[in-house]
Amino acid sequence: MDRRSFIKLTAVTGTSAALASCGNPENQLIRFVPAEDIVPGIAVWKPGVCPLCQAGCGLTVRVMDADADVVRNGQAGLVRIAAAKKLEGASDHPVNHGGLCARGQAAIQITYHPDRITQPLKRSGDRGSGRFEAISWDDALGDLARRLDALETAGNQRAVAFLTRPGAGFRQTLIDQFVSRFGAPAPVAYELFGDDVQRQANALSFGRHQVQTLDLANTRYLLGFGADFLGTWNSPVAQGAGYGAMRQGRLGVRGVFVQVEARMSQTGANADEWVAARPGTEGVLALGLAHVMMAEKLVPDSAGRAGAIVAGWSDGLVDYAPDRVERSTGVPAARVERLAREFAATRPAAAIVGGPPLAHSNGLFTALAVNALNALVGSVDQPGGMSFMPQLDTVAAAGLTGSPARQTIERFAADALSGRPAPDVVFIDGVNPVFTAPPAWRVREALDQAAFVVSFGSFLDETSVLADLVLPDHSFLESWSEAVPEAGAGVAVASVAPPVMRPLYDTRATGDVLLDIGRRLRRPLELPWQTFDEMLAASFSALPSATADADAWTDAQAKGVWSGPLPPRLARQTGLASPARRTFSFEAPRFDGDAQQYPFHFLPYPSTAFLDGSLAHLPWLQEMPDPLTSAMWSSWIEINPATAARLRIGDGDVVEVASSQGALQAAAVITPGIAPDVVAMPMGQGHRTFTRYASGRGVNPIEIVAAVTEPATGALAWAATRVRVSRLGPPDSRLVRFAGGMREETEERR
Amino acid sequence: MPRWGMAVDLDRCNGCAACVVACHAENNISTVGADEAARGRAKHWLRIERYWEGEFPDVRLTFRPVLCQHCDNAPCEPVCPTYASHHTEDGLNAQVYNRCIGTRYCANACPYNVRFFDFFNPSWDKPLHLQLNPDVSLREAGVMEKCTFCVQRIQAAGTQASAEEREVQDGEIQPACVQSCPSKALVFGDLDDPGSRVSQLSRSPRGSKLLEDVGTRPKITYLARQSQA
Repeated sequence: MDRRSFIKLTAVTGTSAALASCGNPENQLIRFVPAEDIVPGIAVWKPGVCPLCQAGCGLTVRVMDADADVVRNGQAGLVRIAAAKKLEGASDHPVNHGGLCARGQAAIQITYHPDRITQPLKRSGDRGSGRFEAISWDDALGDLARRLDALETAGNQRAVAFLTRPGAGFRQTLIDQFVSRFGAPAPVAYELFGDDVQRQANALSFGRHQVQTLDLANTRYLLGFGADFLGTWNSPVAQGAGYGAMRQGRLGVRGVFVQVEARMSQTGANADEWVAARPGTEGVLALGLAHVMMAEKLVPDSAGRAGAIVAGWSDGLVDYAPDRVERSTGVPAARVERLAREFAATRPAAAIVGGPPLAHSNGLFTALAVNALNALVGSVDQPGGMSFMPQLDTVAAAGLTGSPARQTIERFAADALSGRPAPDVVFIDGVNPVFTAPPAWRVREALDQAAFVVSFGSFLDETSVLADLVLPDHSFLESWSEAVPEAGAGVAVASVAPPVMRPLYDTRATGDVLLDIGRRLRRPLELPWQTFDEMLAASFSALPSATADADAWTDAQAKGVWSGPLPPRLARQTGLASPARRTFSFEAPRFDGDAQQYPFHFLPYPSTAFLDGSLAHLPWLQEMPDPLTSAMWSSWIEINPATAARLRIGDGDVVEVASSQGALQAAAVITPGIAPDVVAMPMGQGHRTFTRYASGRGVNPIEIVAAVTEPATGALAWAATRVRVSRLGPPDSRLVRFAGGMREETEERR
Repeated sequence: MPRWGMAVDLDRCNGCAACVVACHAENNISTVGADEAARGRAKHWLRIERYWEGEFPDVRLTFRPVLCQHCDNAPCEPVCPTYASHHTEDGLNAQVYNRCIGTRYCANACPYNVRFFDFFNPSWDKPLHLQLNPDVSLREAGVMEKCTFCVQRIQAAGTQASAEEREVQDGEIQPACVQSCPSKALVFGDLDDPGSRVSQLSRSPRGSKLLEDVGTRPKITYLARQSQA
């Protein structure tokens, strides 16, 4: 055969093969006309706002054409859409400066998740069975409005509850308006790893009910108490940027970092010196340092109000002498003295606390102690220290009045179960307390009391599966997104971005839905906006413009952020009316479980991949090796080598962890970075229902956490449970590690 | 002709793994699921390694992001019978997927464990496929895949620069890992430009190469994590 006939032949057979595939109607290629103007192959970059945590990082989203499967008029086919392709950190955003964490990178999988809820759903089986049927938006909202009308007719508006995330953004403000205008009680805000204790302490010490911002880039000595500020705490990308500059951003100056914690976090792993203190005694160590500094006259004694509210401050904290600190914390007295001298000798220096030290019954004291230490070294409102970022008051910006109040979920559940009153309609937005609250609070049982549960969720998780009506929100890329961070920058920041792409499904923006419901009521709520973006437009228009070329609203939409000096009337008032009249002294932390029967402290910690578990449905994060263990797709329990040897537990062995609340089984990871009397387990896995990627995988440590709380705030003391640990058997398939014998082992042994 | 390289400052790196996921997102790296991951088939062109020192309570840990070192003297290249693994003019260890016949000699030869074999055709549960980067080809079963220094971004920047009749500026090209890094631990650029940031960092007294003694002449310089003075 010559070349010419070969080519002819292949052309013919190739064509007939292509034609043959058209015979199957399923493979028919129907192409619908695109609904938008797209230039194929040309990328467009649009601003966005990361929705995953309170940090409010700015995004730059790459948008390009892609073929999406759609059904139009009953005919399946393809349509070319402008689709988000990649999320990058916005390079000029005052919080994240172009960086974006692993979770933010994976956020795009929320939009394209195969198990997203694509339309309104109505429960068709028993509650919690997961059986739903389709319902139209009009029927769903009409039904909901009738229920709310009936409550109003009966004068029973207080039988409405709204469960939401904490935060101070415009969405929360709209929710506040919705519930208060209807006459319902204040929304219930819950976040497992929230910062309520920190805020309360800052209010007492500094008169600011707000989480602080750290100027890491200019710090020369950073003393951390448990805060995972490079991984999961507060504004990790902003803090990561500051950390890089602190270490290597200044010629000839390298900031020192010392971390105090009982289990080495990803952040603590970077410390120059890692100090293991007994759980719940971190505040004693902080005051021990203050004692040495005052006794040796290394600093002026004054720590202002922050010092004055610590009992014994004016007497030089005699109860916190190094030998006593050693007995309490386990940190040698000589080390306490050395750290105090180093900390006092270096300027600027800053201390920071967060996470496990505050998750004890005495967490407020610990936070106050670290605050006093900061005040003592003069790090408050100073370069290289801590400060409070001006924060936009979204209520004032929206032209409203009032200050938002919140209930705790523990109180909500207790009230619902005691029937005073039993909730009738419960709204759920952005929280999954059935998964993240301790079983002793009985959130699930409380929701069972409600006549009608409405979820705005995009996925069926443990809480939204209990819903009678699911009104799915757009993804953050399909709707107006906004965030008003309380920390992470030196100036006030309000992120905002228009939709990046058209909605893929029959979903609706929750803000718009709330406004719609408000109009449908027999006594309409009279909210001043038709849509959520009208609210944003009105609010941002009230801000001073950052440039001469455009008004604040136009400029903010184009950049994805507004930032700058705030007029006083638009700044959130975070002060306390009157300072505390009492002083605080150390009280031994209260633990659930007897130390004889339950010899170990149990530390459930926010997972680098999943935070509190709300991101376990994203496959990239499931397959991301954990930075400290290289574990993927798994649950594990971290045990000190000496403890493991004593209990005859080998690496990967299956162990049982039992508390007074119940028992869990997980694989052991033996690691030197944990105290011998502590065992730790990441949150995130153990979902019963949360999409194909997370359901039925691993265990949920919160199921064995007891309901110990910090009394001043009612926040869960999630590190206050004691457990016992026993070996069940040899390693099985439940622990998957990237390093597992193949990849990193050879390198690490060199 | 530039010679692309990278500097990794281990004193800035804090192990947050942003780069790991950014790489997946940019390069259409498919996830394999728990069962196949347990068989060692998960693919991470970039990984975070841990180096533990000491016993409790005096423990110290150093993270190290490890990706293809783009060796000047790459052991993966001469062993490839089909020239799928080859050296480009601008110094990349490139992998031509269409040439690869899956002998996996290159992975055996590589001392850094950064080459990954595709045991399956990639699959995405729809509509996760909408996220795919059209600038990066998908790898089918039976080929090796690896870090490319985001060659698609290198080429796009070169095309843009030549359209504007100028040279590519230092810092203009950021591979996905570099762009995502919150603490700016990763710096990418032209090693043959003595003024580029990456060349300056590569000459740092803190610098060293990974497994330098095996003679691979890597183009990634690791700047040592410093200790408290």
